[in-house]
Amino acid sequence: MTARSFERFLNLSVDLTAFRETELLGTGLAHHYLAKVRAACGDEIFADLLAAHRLARSDASRDAGDRDPVLLDRALRHRIFSDDTLGPVARNVIKLWYAGMWYGLPPEWTDRYGARAAAATSTVTAASYQEGLLWPAIGAHPPGAKAPGYGSWAQPPRIEDRYLKRAAK
Amino acid sequence: MTAPTIANRDDLISYLHTAMALEHATIPPYLTAYYSIHSNTNSDAAHIIRVVAVEEMLHLTLAANVLNAIGGTPDLTRPGFVPSYPAYLPDGEDDFTVDLRPFSPEAVETFCKIERPGTTSGAGPRLVQTADSGRPLLVSSPTVEGMRFYSIGEFYAEIIEGLEKVAASDPALFCGDPARQVGPESFYSGGGALFPVTDLDSALRALHFIADQGEGLDSGLYDDDGELAHYYRFRQLQLGRYYEVGDEPDAPSGPPLFVTWDDVYQVKVSARLADYPPGELADAARQFNADYGAFLGLLTKAFNGQPALLQDAVWYMFRLRDGINQLVRNPLPGSDWLHAAPTFEIPAAVGSDQDASRTTGEMAQAVSR
Repeated sequence: MTARSFERFLNLSVDLTAFRETELLGTGLAHHYLAKVRAACGDEIFADLLAAHRLARSDASRDAGDRDPVLLDRALRHRIFSDDTLGPVARNVIKLWYAGMWYGLPPEWTDRYGARAAAATSTVTAASYQEGLLWPAIGAHPPGAKAPGYGSWAQPPRIEDRYLKRAAK
Repeated sequence: MTAPTIANRDDLISYLHTAMALEHATIPPYLTAYYSIHSNTNSDAAHIIRVVAVEEMLHLTLAANVLNAIGGTPDLTRPGFVPSYPAYLPDGEDDFTVDLRPFSPEAVETFCKIERPGTTSGAGPRLVQTADSGRPLLVSSPTVEGMRFYSIGEFYAEIIEGLEKVAASDPALFCGDPARQVGPESFYSGGGALFPVTDLDSALRALHFIADQGEGLDSGLYDDDGELAHYYRFRQLQLGRYYEVGDEPDAPSGPPLFVTWDDVYQVKVSARLADYPPGELADAARQFNADYGAFLGLLTKAFNGQPALLQDAVWYMFRLRDGINQLVRNPLPGSDWLHAAPTFEIPAAVGSDQDASRTTGEMAQAVSR
């Protein structure tokens, strides 16, 4: 794996999960997840997914150097989610980050592109359950792990400004 | 022998403020090494570091109790309470500084130096001349300019002697409000019990406990409770074997102990905010510092008449844990693949408001870098 494909996988994951790169790297699992996705769908489709994502980003890029969030959303749907090959993989990448589980690709997909052993439903590492983005997304902690401390439940949830309604994009 | 440096209550109060700063100053180096270890690896080393760090928190609280007992006012938010790393330790010579390091042989070497037993006994001079280095010192004499201690144990020996002397001439020395004492009901801890300090006996007990548990004031491996002193806990990592009762200092005879130095995030040594390029990672580092500053504000409140607030300190520390974990897993851009680490540069504008999250934006802007 090259540093460049890792960076591209991270960029893809940022757009798919709506978590920031620091948070994704903060799970300590990004390298594991990249290896899992690539093993499940194969090098070629993995490269196609990253390429489609780069095109989607360029579709949405503005003169100021940033991206139009509405255009990016549309481009991701057009180039990735509505694609028979890339869509199911991308959906599973989202589930992977949020649940810490690799969910098996659907039978229609494996019928067409081949069933790899790595494509079956499986846990990536023992740490991936506790690092699932699901927990910070709902302001909770994974039951049985990452104890937040006695009495923590009496505190208001800590929600970052950017997740509040009408937050500046 | 150097003249005693503690003549009255004010001197004692100065020394105990320094004692609190000293106990705290050991914690960031321990936390940095502890959290740099990959999860589920190096359990022997992680356990040793964790136990010592938790005991330093107990020492901090005991020092606050002694300070409160003689009418002092603990303050963990004053500028300079958290040293700027790397900082010198009280070692007579300037042979090492304390850095914030990933778990490594160098880090363990530093931990041994922090905790090493004193070499003077009885009448030897405890105070030595400081070198004029301009670096911050963890243990210098707060009452005599330009002097510092040969070891942490000797620093406490000076306080113990001064306390006995002042108590003998000032019957009202222990005038502190007992309600300001933190007792075991507010302190959930391993590694020894917390107790209130209300008189000379309990004050001496607290100070002896701190010195014995850390460095071994009497140079023994085990303290009165049969606990291995911190210095020897760390020596185990260097010698690759656990101690057993009756062992000689350089020849532990217990089970072997395994260390895998590679299962560690190689965080940048004593990282500073200036090392972070602008961006979300720098924001996360600033956020951690703001949280840490707010946490010190919470402790200050707890040590100033609201000991029940230490219950909130528990979940606060878990939040800090999550913050450190996130930082050390992130590569620090522009640092040759080294990873990020908390910088413990506490923003000056932090108040003692326990809910930092609402004011974090303002506090982050208060950071000068």
